[in-house]
Amino acid sequence: MRRYARLFALQLRTSLQTGLQYRWDFVVEGLTGLLFALLGLLPLWVFKRNGAAVPGWGFPEMLVVVGWFTLLKGLIDGAVNPSLIVVVDHIRRGTLDFVLLKPADAQFLVSTGKFEPWRVLDVLVGVAICGSGFVLLGRWPGALDLAGALLLLVSAALVLYSTWILVVSAAFWVVRLDNLAYLFMSIFDFARWPVTVFRGAVRFAFTFIIPLALMTTYPSMALLGTLRPATGALAVAGALGYAAVARLVWRRAIARYTSASS
Amino acid sequence: MIRVAHLTKEFRVHRRDAGLAAAVRSLFRRRYDTVTAVRDLCVEIVPGERVGFLGPNGAGKTTTLKVLAGLLHPTGGEVRVLGHVPQRREPDFLRQITLVMGQKQQLLWDLPPADTFELNRAVYSVPEADFRVRRDEIVELLGIGDTMRKPTRQLSLGERMKCELCAALLHGPRVLFLDEPTIGLDVSMQHTVREFIRVTNERHGSTVLLTSHYMVDVLALCPRVIVIDRGRLCFDGRLEELVRSARPEKRIVVKLERPVERADLEAIGHVVRHDAAVAVLQVGNASLREAMARLLAGLPVADLTVEDPPLEEVMRDLFAREAGAAGADADGTGGPGGGSAEGPEEGEGDE
Repeated sequence: MRRYARLFALQLRTSLQTGLQYRWDFVVEGLTGLLFALLGLLPLWVFKRNGAAVPGWGFPEMLVVVGWFTLLKGLIDGAVNPSLIVVVDHIRRGTLDFVLLKPADAQFLVSTGKFEPWRVLDVLVGVAICGSGFVLLGRWPGALDLAGALLLLVSAALVLYSTWILVVSAAFWVVRLDNLAYLFMSIFDFARWPVTVFRGAVRFAFTFIIPLALMTTYPSMALLGTLRPATGALAVAGALGYAAVARLVWRRAIARYTSASS
Repeated sequence: MIRVAHLTKEFRVHRRDAGLAAAVRSLFRRRYDTVTAVRDLCVEIVPGERVGFLGPNGAGKTTTLKVLAGLLHPTGGEVRVLGHVPQRREPDFLRQITLVMGQKQQLLWDLPPADTFELNRAVYSVPEADFRVRRDEIVELLGIGDTMRKPTRQLSLGERMKCELCAALLHGPRVLFLDEPTIGLDVSMQHTVREFIRVTNERHGSTVLLTSHYMVDVLALCPRVIVIDRGRLCFDGRLEELVRSARPEKRIVVKLERPVERADLEAIGHVVRHDAAVAVLQVGNASLREAMARLLAGLPVADLTVEDPPLEEVMRDLFAREAGAAGADADGTGGPGGGSAEGPEEGEGDE
């Protein structure tokens, strides 16, 4: 475990070094991310201007959801997506060989190969938006609420990461399937709204099939102190089960890897 | 050390005719062929050997190397490397081998190779002290002290290859699978890489299995050669035996004091080259002595050397002979996958 923690730290450091090789990219990417995070507030502002309302969700509570969405998106864009986008290319070009030849867990190596450190700005903006929601509410989340929300943050990241692993695994069969992941990331955009905004089949899908509710609504509810513990526990268990399935599929997929032409 | 018994590797490849209509048809009805890249290969390699693995494109060399390295699962037969079943990819096995692919790179593109070395040290859990000793040794042998501190993307092909070798050997592997490590390099760089491989083998007793299209690599490095063609073993033995069995002939290079008639040379042996100053004759091993005596007695010879035929020609003859034999076999068998070990399509297989 300590070896993997060291490896993780080294991969992170390597990504930071790579980012620093291109100083202007670092600044431009960081500022673009910041701009997009702030633009993400625009729909909410329009929503408020038009006097629309979602039962159980006032403007400050919805700010918490958008803040959480920004934070999670920063985390995923910075720590999950970059590595896994690269893997699909590795499979196509046959350079995944080098990963499979290493005496370390291949899933770990491919998942930690690339980070985008400037995304940390998105995370900070997300925290600030969440914080502004609580300022408007005039109160702060309790320690237990915060712990529950963080646990759900890890679960949400796990679900998104596992989805990527499934997509990457599928690439062993059909080679090019990363577009599916981009489609998923577009759907993920709906997670900036509480799931109660949606009705009927869409709401069911966003709760159980593509669990957007787990990603932003439940953690926000945990922060606000309105989430039932049983729902939270179920969400965490679901995320763990999903990750286990993804791991199983990955292991079967690498056994099928045929390497590309020399 | 390395034991391959009746190894067979098949790939299932999608086949379609050229053109748009065939492409549309293949969306609905796919036709797959089974291609046998390696068939019934039996080989044993002992520790410390340097073995050249030869064959034309699509012969199954890279496929075999990848099976030995654990990247591909064999369809049939049994493979053991250092007592391990490679495809299980056990960490203890992976720590003892390395695979260098001349056409692919593991170096981090935007960072200096020194950073890749550091990353590999962590992945292979090499103790800091051992790492320094090995790195310094390799850096000195390859002369990459300055190179390893420049970003990889700014290095020449030769510099990159040398750093690739360093990255692949820092963990001190006992078995080196080298797949065309000198491809695309200039003559001087090829020489450096060859010398490095030879010194590594001699100093550390590591086993080397090398594929290369440059015969000079094989001549300089490998006392033993394994030749495969269309997935089948054609020859396994010492290089001299290969030359003797495929081309039982010698070449006599004669430097002439003055020009001679071609007919005079043809009376002694087959003329390979003839100009005013030099003539090259090819004669059977049995008549070498007599041919030399006749040359010295009857022609104005200034100097004379005896050589084996070039390995490229030996290989060409051998593959032509094998192709003829395979063609004769295929006439009797036919059917998909029956005669060709051509490399499968991208993403499906190899070579």
